[in-house]
Amino acid sequence: MPEPSAEPGEEIIRSLATDERREMVPPDAASLQIAAVEAGPEIAGAAAGRKRLGIGAWLAAIWLILVIGSAIAAPILPIPDPKRDSTLPELSSDGSLSVIAAAPSLDHPFGLDASGLDVFSRTIWGGRASLIIGFVSIGLGFLVGGFLGMLSGYFKGKVGGFIGSLLDILLAFPQLVLAIFVVEVLGHTVWFVTFALAIVATPVLARITRASSLSWSEREFVVAARAQGAKHGRVMLREVLPNTLPAMFAIAILSVAVVIVAEAGLAIVGAGVNPSVITWGNMISAGQADLKASPHIVLAPSLVIFLTVLSLNYLGDVIRARTDVRESAL
Amino acid sequence: MRMVLSKIVRLVVVLFVVSFLSFWFVKLIGGNDDLVAKMIPFSSEQEKDRVRNELGLQDPFFAQYGHWVGNFVTGDFGQIYLGAGDNISSVPVSETVAKRLPVSLELMLYAQFLALFFAIPFGILSAHKASSRFDKATNVTAFGMLALPQFVAALLLVIFVGARWGWLPTQSNLPNFPLNPLDNWRFMLMPTVALALAQIAIYMRLLRSDMIATLQEDFITTAKAKGLPTRRVLLRHALRPSSLTLLTVAGLNVGALIGGAIIIERIFKVPGIGGELAEAIFRQQTLEIQSLVVLIAFFYVILNFGVDILYSVLDPRIRHARAVS
Repeated sequence: MPEPSAEPGEEIIRSLATDERREMVPPDAASLQIAAVEAGPEIAGAAAGRKRLGIGAWLAAIWLILVIGSAIAAPILPIPDPKRDSTLPELSSDGSLSVIAAAPSLDHPFGLDASGLDVFSRTIWGGRASLIIGFVSIGLGFLVGGFLGMLSGYFKGKVGGFIGSLLDILLAFPQLVLAIFVVEVLGHTVWFVTFALAIVATPVLARITRASSLSWSEREFVVAARAQGAKHGRVMLREVLPNTLPAMFAIAILSVAVVIVAEAGLAIVGAGVNPSVITWGNMISAGQADLKASPHIVLAPSLVIFLTVLSLNYLGDVIRARTDVRESAL
Repeated sequence: MRMVLSKIVRLVVVLFVVSFLSFWFVKLIGGNDDLVAKMIPFSSEQEKDRVRNELGLQDPFFAQYGHWVGNFVTGDFGQIYLGAGDNISSVPVSETVAKRLPVSLELMLYAQFLALFFAIPFGILSAHKASSRFDKATNVTAFGMLALPQFVAALLLVIFVGARWGWLPTQSNLPNFPLNPLDNWRFMLMPTVALALAQIAIYMRLLRSDMIATLQEDFITTAKAKGLPTRRVLLRHALRPSSLTLLTVAGLNVGALIGGAIIIERIFKVPGIGGELAEAIFRQQTLEIQSLVVLIAFFYVILNFGVDILYSVLDPRIRHARAVS
């Protein structure tokens, strides 16, 4: 049984890099990212010892509530229309024509884009598709990957081996390349992109769940439950699952951040959602044409993505630090 | 030796499944006729039929797959179809690949080197001075760098270093390395930095956490007690045992960099494989996309296989663990 190490990030890396049973499985980009976020406990760890959450956690939570809330409430918010049928520039309040791709001003806090649309309003609307893609694909990956990972961690023998080699095949593709391929073949809709990213996320989440459920499945209380005659399903549901869930949840939050970035990456490569749908990635992709004269078109959604990813990483780290039995027991 | 043999069998199986799934997936969803119509939308019907014949789309599925794999393994990755009306010409994908693969490899090599160059000293120092102000500042910076997507770093570089301050070229052709190494580096600098930033943070944090564990070992206390200078303790005694995870990850990560490189190559217009993939997507060349995806996956799998074999030969711990289990 692997010795529990002091830092969960280190544990993940160990299981990825020097796992004796590692066969064809290299550490993929997403797991590396997640492991690196978890590798140092200093960032959010300082708050873990205290009862109250640190100010950073509050800031992160407030930012996420703001982004998610405004995305949900976009239709009723008093913001300019993010899409217009005519491409004529809008008249601004003093009656003059508003300049196309104008820099940020009081009327338009993030400026206007190349067709004279309000970038602030588009950023809020863009959050809808981007956040749906992020949360739904990880939700799917969490269910399927979590289930598969748990099965293969609990039943180490043939079942585990079979699921393992199934996941290895998915992991044989570089992640972004696999997502590009699935989207190219299926089509460029929000749901197909979500599906493609769920396919990419599933083996990653499965592999991390597997590592966690492997070590829990060998604990004394699990063996005791088995010895008392409990069925496999019951042991998994009542003994193993509750223990792996907190760590899984923290990792799922980190993965949402990875997927939000992946959506934008797909859009930049041209394999994202159809450009007529507003997403953060599509805004960046379209704004690239005019980087020199009007960088604000690209910078606004980039900043929002950065802050959202930062907040998700921070919260994931806080949740992990607070639910970690080893650390909170100290 | 048995281990290597079983690994090779596994490698072949994975390569077979990857190629079969990719082929089947395109056939299943893409539809034969749509594929040709999508690739050369402005061609005449005659030409479309000619291309369909050339691709052998009437053959049974397994014959098509066998033909395709046979060509693929012998270095024929299919054709890129161009043109309109009755003038449809084709360029072999393998020609473009031969031109573009070295560029991608060059970029990955630079990025890896740059990442390790910064990550190792910072990792050592922040582990040595754990919980100091320096350590905290480095960690917060690394945490920020992890949240900064590669494309945002790339766009910031293009906007400020490239466009606003005009220090480095953004939109020029890649100068040939042997002919003009300095200009080649000037071109490659920004893509390299954009690709390396996140890796620096990843490597640094991994090395730091390993190093902290090593520094608590008895032999470090002994070395310190002998009165060895700190520098020697850190570099000679602590670094080597702490760097195994880092090196394993860095080695295997070369493959993982391919994904990031696609976006970076697209933004900086680097003429590499990733840039070619993005162009193929733009031109809707489904068959070229398929070839490139399988090619990249093959490259990735074989590379990882090589690194894996190399490590199990080099590292006694892995070798030993395998022998025991």
